[in-house]
Amino acid sequence: MMAAAWRHKRVAASQPGFLPLKSNLGGDSSNVKRRKRVNKNKKKSWNKFSDIQDVEEFLEDVRLQERTTGGLIAEKTDDSLFFVDTGDKDEKDKDAQPETTVKKGKHSKPLRIDLILQPDSHIPAPKNVLAFQQPNAKKQRRTSDRAAKLASMGILPRREKLLQLRRAAAASGVSAKKRAVANNNPDRTFYDLWTAETAPETADPYYLEQTKKKLVKRPDRLNEKPSVLPAIEVIAPGGSYNPDFFSHQDLLRKAHEVEVKKIKAEEKLARQLAVNEDVATEETTFKEQVEGLIEEEEIEPEEPEGDTEGTVTGPTATQEKKTEKQRKKEKAKRIKELQRKAERQVIDKRQQLFQLRSISADLKKQEQRTKMRQAQRKAQQEAQKSMPRRLGKLKFQDPDLDVQLSNELAGSLRSLKPEGSILKDRFLSLQKRNIIEPRDRAKFKRKYKLKFSEKRAFREIQ
Amino acid sequence: MGGLQKKKYESGSATNYISRNKARKKLSLSLADFRRLCILKGIYPHEPKHKKKVNKGSTAPRTFYLLKDIRFLLHEPIVGKFREYKIFVRKLRTAYGKAEWGAVGRLKREQAFVQIGPHHQGEFTCFESSGFSSRSFILWGCHVMNERLKPENLSDKRYPTFIDALRDVDDALSMCFLFSTFARTGKCHVQTIQLCRRLSVEWMNYIIASRSLRKVFLSIKGMYYQAEVLGQTVTWIVPYQFAHDHPTDVDYRVMATFTELYTTLLGFVNFRLYQTLNLVYPPKLDGQGELSLKSECEEDYALESESYSEKLSALSASLARTVPSVEEEEAELDHFPAEGEDLEKMEAREKIELEQNKQKKLFEGLKFFLNREVPRESLAFVIRCLGGQVSWDKSLCIGSTYDETDETITHHIVDRPSIEKQYINRYYIQPQWVYDCVNAKMLLPVEEYFLGVTLPPHLSPFVEESEGDYVPPEKLKLMALQRGEKPLFTEAAAEEEEEEEEGDEDEEEEEDEDDEDEDDQSEEEDEAEDEENLAEMEAKRAQGKRLPVKVTPGKVKPENRMRTEQEEKAEEKRLAIMMMKKREKYLYDKIMFGKKRNVREANKLAAKRKAHDDASKADKKKKKKKC
Repeated sequence: MMAAAWRHKRVAASQPGFLPLKSNLGGDSSNVKRRKRVNKNKKKSWNKFSDIQDVEEFLEDVRLQERTTGGLIAEKTDDSLFFVDTGDKDEKDKDAQPETTVKKGKHSKPLRIDLILQPDSHIPAPKNVLAFQQPNAKKQRRTSDRAAKLASMGILPRREKLLQLRRAAAASGVSAKKRAVANNNPDRTFYDLWTAETAPETADPYYLEQTKKKLVKRPDRLNEKPSVLPAIEVIAPGGSYNPDFFSHQDLLRKAHEVEVKKIKAEEKLARQLAVNEDVATEETTFKEQVEGLIEEEEIEPEEPEGDTEGTVTGPTATQEKKTEKQRKKEKAKRIKELQRKAERQVIDKRQQLFQLRSISADLKKQEQRTKMRQAQRKAQQEAQKSMPRRLGKLKFQDPDLDVQLSNELAGSLRSLKPEGSILKDRFLSLQKRNIIEPRDRAKFKRKYKLKFSEKRAFREIQ
Repeated sequence: MGGLQKKKYESGSATNYISRNKARKKLSLSLADFRRLCILKGIYPHEPKHKKKVNKGSTAPRTFYLLKDIRFLLHEPIVGKFREYKIFVRKLRTAYGKAEWGAVGRLKREQAFVQIGPHHQGEFTCFESSGFSSRSFILWGCHVMNERLKPENLSDKRYPTFIDALRDVDDALSMCFLFSTFARTGKCHVQTIQLCRRLSVEWMNYIIASRSLRKVFLSIKGMYYQAEVLGQTVTWIVPYQFAHDHPTDVDYRVMATFTELYTTLLGFVNFRLYQTLNLVYPPKLDGQGELSLKSECEEDYALESESYSEKLSALSASLARTVPSVEEEEAELDHFPAEGEDLEKMEAREKIELEQNKQKKLFEGLKFFLNREVPRESLAFVIRCLGGQVSWDKSLCIGSTYDETDETITHHIVDRPSIEKQYINRYYIQPQWVYDCVNAKMLLPVEEYFLGVTLPPHLSPFVEESEGDYVPPEKLKLMALQRGEKPLFTEAAAEEEEEEEEGDEDEEEEEDEDDEDEDDQSEEEDEAEDEENLAEMEAKRAQGKRLPVKVTPGKVKPENRMRTEQEEKAEEKRLAIMMMKKREKYLYDKIMFGKKRNVREANKLAAKRKAHDDASKADKKKKKKKC
């Protein structure tokens, strides 16, 4: 491309109509150095050694012409370049002079600084391209084109649509779509829940249930409370802020008992876990070392002699086969026994007639016993209902009683320091009533081990 | 025989229960969501009878649910919502991770029920900056989920009738009062706290309007209140102001879920209760109240938007009614001719009714003024519940109705040892008087509650002593007062009074009161003295004479009917005991022994108390002498 331009310019220079502004152009060929012979098979050498002086000069001249006259002189009309000198220049000057003198007061000369700042080139400055460029212009053009296309098809953008809907709703006075209100919105509205009339269902209830149009009926079993304990357990009278002396003492005693029990349990555990403190002393170590070396003069316990004779060492006699006679005898004996028993039964039955009273008493006794047991069992079951159940890994443990010692009690309501936390109380009450299972706070577990390293600065000091 | 061999754990209790983890998997919910669902739907864990069987031979402790319950949960549409929400959060998280803001916006828009108020936006920023912070997620998730807690389900299912709901309102109230006192520090939603406050104020206003407060007990934990609402006894506990530390071993998520449920319940209950009294819901101050509460310096207390709710929570003005209030007619009990036991019951009922009516109007016509150091809300609530008028310093709180300088004030409640400027025509008393009056159902004598006086113990109204139990002497005195007897001045009391008189003569009013009482007492003493004198004179005369050999005509002793009756009764009882069968006798003896033991113990305690009192009195005297 570049080469093409030069050629073009060179052609222009050689054109007969071109007028160079500086006279030395074209004719000054003696200045040209001798051509060096260089291989021009590389682009680099082309650039380096090709002679473009003439072109440069020509272009410089073109630019100069453009700067000073606003175009190539060759292309200018004669009128703009020449004028006919009629010689009445002075007159004109004279004509112009008085005007300037008159207007001198009004039209002062432009300031020199302004003149300096005036562009002296006749070529207008190139406009700032960046000022006219838009970021994302292409994209915007595309989107606007698309919107226009959609609009021509009659499809409105979403925002417009929503706005129209809202306007229509506002005009008609009905909100188009009720937004769900958060349950913890402080301004939420309530209504009469229990007499809210529902239209009687005409459709098949089975159909409604299957299509999830109607919810499944809640079984009544679920409305039973899991414990008979009251929701709010009022503190004992000793827990008053200004308690009666004895009820306060009573409460303190209860708390004390609980504490004592705990301490005892702890002590017991400690006792059981205690390591036998058999620390080796010098004596014992020595003993251990000489174990078996020293002959012990202990008297061995005398063995009881008489016992050995009396002891039986198991069945030794092998049993011999029974004789026929023996068998018969045994059989007869057996039969006789059975007969005797049968007879006895008959007699007993007959005798029972006379024992009617005692039998009935026995029966009564038994019945009473069962009744008592039933009652007991029932009572136990009732008691169980108010007990916290084992619902998970942890057992429910009664919280510590909230008490204030006599010296902690406040004299007046103003100086009262509340004891315990109601939030915790409520939480434990839910656990006690079997509504939630007792839980511990999840312990923090570190996923990776901590790694310690000394900072370099620290190391350097050391 | 043949037949298939039965396998273990394929029938019976093993198939009736399901472990929590399995249930969770069956519903495909996370554990937190499962917990929320169970709380909202009222599904509780269950302890099986034979754990080993249910646990398929293992004895590891586990949480079990009834399989039927879980099957019921499967039908809940809310389960689907949980899942949808889970997916939504996942998508949102991905979009945030990839910084696709357009996708985030679209997701948020699509999730129609997600509303992000200013508070949530705050949450979102932390969500953006630090990945998915668990807390923000919890709160936010909870919030969104709860929009699915439809109140309709609450009515059809958990509380089929209004009374059912009212029975369960204890918990709801305690929780709401508790949450409304929380600081807005981010332990729970600010909106939740505001809602709880609103609901608890509504409830207090209802109790005031219906005058149904029955008992109050100031304990070291908090204030217990008991009211009778539509025949149901409702007890709730209110924490003292500024009494909070946040315990760490409480699961706030669980508590927040319960609060969501309970606020919903309490709101609907409140609505219904307001309807029963023809009150406007949401509550509005009635015209007079609003006028009287208009003050220039309203802006000092609250913003324009909040000042109305603040005024409502001041509890000093009555509420507007939908139907103009008619003078309340006394609904008289129906009388039916009855015999025997029924009659007794009827009488008892009537008596209770009468007492309650009296209690309702206990403070009517009294004008209270609260000093700034007393618990304002509690006292205002209690006083207004019994029909009194109450006000406080203008600078203390919004809604004061009259000034301290008002001449018509009858009681000025103060909780400091002394006060500089005192008005003559009013009592200066300590706050306990108000609470004790509620519990005693009568206006107690004010002397024991004056400024600087050691207060009598604040007894719990929630204990009911059975026969033979130890009853503290203060309560005995109170019971005597309730029966309408004049306060009996025991020796000790008289002595104390004398001491007091010696000690503090500066308190004029107290002295006046004392004087009046003493007048009565002195009259009695005079009479006693007269009688003594007469007896002495007679004795002297008798000594003067010689042996009295005179035969005086016999007087007809007036037959004491009461006494004979009693004797007869005792005789009858003795005979009945004699006629008892052996077994019954044994039982009877046992019961009587128990009773006697109780009495013995009570006597022991009473003796102890007396000894204690004496000792303390002696101490006091010594101190005084020293002084």
